[in-house]
Amino acid sequence: MALFIAKRLGAALLLVVGTILVAFVLTAVLPGDAATARLGEQAAANPEIVEAMRRQMGLDRPLYEQFFIYLGGLFRGDLGDSVQTTRPVLTDLLLFGPASAELALSATLIAVVVGGGLGIVAALRANTAVDNVLRAFSLGGVSIPIFWFALIATSIFATRLQWFPSSGRLDAGEIPPPRVTGFYTIDSLLAGDLPLFFQAVDHLILPAIVLSAPMVGLLMRFTRASVLDVLGQEYIRAAEAKGLSPRSVVFGHVLRGALVPVITVVGTAFASLLAGTVLVEQIFAWPGIGSYAYRAASTLDLSAIVGVTIFVALIYIFVNLITDILYGIIDPRIRRA
Amino acid sequence: MKTPRRLLTAATLVAATALALAACAAPADTDTDQPDGEQSESLVIDKSFDLVTADPARMFETTGGIVLHAVYDSLLTFADGDATEPLPSVASEWSVNDDATEYTFTIRDGITFSDGNPLTSADVVFSLNRVKNVQGNGSFLMNGLTVSAPDETTVVITSETSNTAVPAIVTSPTLGIVNSALVTENGGTDAEDAAETDSAEEFLNSTSAGSGPYVLESFDTTTETVLVANPEYWGEAPVYDRVVLRNATAEAQLMDIQSGTADIALDLGSDQIAGLGGDVVVNTSQSPTMFFFFLNANPEVSEITSSPDFREAVRYGIDFDAMLELAGEGAERAYGIVPSSYLGALGADSAVERDVERAQEAVARLGGDVTVELEYASDFSSNGLSMGPFAERIAAQLAEVGITVNLAPGPIATTLESYRAGTEEMGLWLWNPDYPDSADYLAFGPGGIVGERAGWTAGMAPEIEAVMEEVRGEVDPAAREPLYEEFQELSNEAGVIVPLFQPAASVVSTSAVGDVPYDPVFSLDIAAIGR
Repeated sequence: MALFIAKRLGAALLLVVGTILVAFVLTAVLPGDAATARLGEQAAANPEIVEAMRRQMGLDRPLYEQFFIYLGGLFRGDLGDSVQTTRPVLTDLLLFGPASAELALSATLIAVVVGGGLGIVAALRANTAVDNVLRAFSLGGVSIPIFWFALIATSIFATRLQWFPSSGRLDAGEIPPPRVTGFYTIDSLLAGDLPLFFQAVDHLILPAIVLSAPMVGLLMRFTRASVLDVLGQEYIRAAEAKGLSPRSVVFGHVLRGALVPVITVVGTAFASLLAGTVLVEQIFAWPGIGSYAYRAASTLDLSAIVGVTIFVALIYIFVNLITDILYGIIDPRIRRA
Repeated sequence: MKTPRRLLTAATLVAATALALAACAAPADTDTDQPDGEQSESLVIDKSFDLVTADPARMFETTGGIVLHAVYDSLLTFADGDATEPLPSVASEWSVNDDATEYTFTIRDGITFSDGNPLTSADVVFSLNRVKNVQGNGSFLMNGLTVSAPDETTVVITSETSNTAVPAIVTSPTLGIVNSALVTENGGTDAEDAAETDSAEEFLNSTSAGSGPYVLESFDTTTETVLVANPEYWGEAPVYDRVVLRNATAEAQLMDIQSGTADIALDLGSDQIAGLGGDVVVNTSQSPTMFFFFLNANPEVSEITSSPDFREAVRYGIDFDAMLELAGEGAERAYGIVPSSYLGALGADSAVERDVERAQEAVARLGGDVTVELEYASDFSSNGLSMGPFAERIAAQLAEVGITVNLAPGPIATTLESYRAGTEEMGLWLWNPDYPDSADYLAFGPGGIVGERAGWTAGMAPEIEAVMEEVRGEVDPAAREPLYEEFQELSNEAGVIVPLFQPAASVVSTSAVGDVPYDPVFSLDIAAIGR
């Protein structure tokens, strides 16, 4: 097991280094001058100011030098400064990262509970009316465009019914709870501020449901297929034949067997969820990595673009690593393969 | 196989509970909204942020201008959306010498900064010199100007050449007066090497050092920025004690204003406003933003666009009224490059009417069947308008007179670069005034910043340049007016810059807040809301 994990870790590390190189080079060769992009009309016409800006941003050095300077900074945990926020990129990532993570994890939780639960129901009720309705529901979840769903959901639940707020993590001008985890739900509980907790949850629900929609559909289909597959296996019949209660058959045998493919789906779906947050965060004015990345790209904020790319790549790699290891734990055949 | 019924029930329950929980949290919302009556005193403004800094010397963006106009007083100001006459502010009165090279300002008595320190002429000198020397986006405002303080209550601004725009220039939030003692204490300097040595930006991004009606409570360039009333303010206290300026896309603004989570929305387009219900107040006026396109006059960039025949073909081939229609309700056709509310703006009698035959003849003189490229930013919009539809309409109209226009859209980061480098054959852009004075539009003349980008360099149109020179030195507004008109008429004839229209600027507010006018100088005058 240790060797298995070490191998996976080594591969992950190589991937990280490769990602940094690719992200840096691709960003550096982007068309457009990052220095003048920061300047107004009149200032950009002044070569002195433009030159000073290039110097300040380190753009006057050759590309390879910029890369080594960047790598050096990276080892010290310095990802450079963001043009749009004027803060260090690392500070921004730590500030906006938890906002996205809170949203993505809530969406995943909803997807696992709702999608997984309904998937099991569908499998146990295979080919009945209930199953057919659920399958149609899951198809809808997978194929619905997320921005459209977001607009429909906000116009009904936020604008018309006013059940949920339409934007932000808290009400406008509300002071966030003292920062411990960066998750407003957790931090407000830690601070013992219950009204603030409800406010944070309230803001979280609508974007999390929207974001979870494709994942709910996907998980439902996978869980259904996976459970059905296991239900047909010899050992389940054997267990039933031995006279075990249906409950212990399902919990003891079926779910354990059905879990492996589902975990893979949760892993990859979570990672692709991060891409979905760009849209959802824009629509809900959610101050997370998605909004940050969008703004960084449109203002040629190079340090921020590279920083976000590395950050997201790290999450992908980390999630895959965890998935791989979980696999190995659940199904011993995999780690021996 | 037999269905394990109990498990089925359990799984259904889990799924149903999750859905129910999600739905049930709704009533909790109404409870948490009113625990403390504070909400009603706060004013929430939605704006799509272009916020970079809260340091006046480095600020030159629209959102920054809105925030800093409320936090920092300037020597002079404008009020009630009237951009024609500068009014006293920090300076209670001012005078100018005969050739408009020396302005003397008297500093008002009894102004204190938010920390209680008195504001003196030394603070004004420090603030203006700091802007000049930090070499930021707004440093050009101080080009050719020097500032001195002969005594505690007098400030003198001297200009190298005659400059009638000084009173308008000193209204800029970039030239807001900072507390020099406090800023110096926190790394600020007005020395000549301030570009390298000044380090007060970080401090000014967290603590405001002004004498305006508001102070910063919190400043964030990406989420929200909060202002609270300055108890030390010398003028009339603002109506709202606390103002939250929130970053939101136009789509989010529409939802926020409908659901009542925002009181004011600043970036709604006319089509979005058309769908709004009755509980809002919409205030629409012309924005001073000018949409224009240019035909590059540099023969090295284009043999075609630099030819007078081509200019004539375009001038008579464009249907300006059809463009205006596209710009939507409230927009106004631009007869010249100077916006309608400024001195010397041209009227409808200077309008060029479409003449397809004349345009076709001009194309024939060029040898017929000409092809040109029109570049514009595809990912940028202003006042709810994107460039794409206008570029397409230009292409369609010019196709009717025999000119093929190839559209070359690109991300603004790339198109801006070729625009500034002067390599665009034809470009579609817009211009926001740097300060509310017609002098700012001399940038469009030969040798001006925009002129150069259009390949229109100094010496290419001596007649126009002579008028530009004359108006720069003319002190009498009555004499300036016909000169600005002449400048524009001559420019229209030369046809290098083709002004299109001024878009509508709308401020949408809830009925609780009432009518909030758009301010042509500051976009939004926060302290004036509710008065």
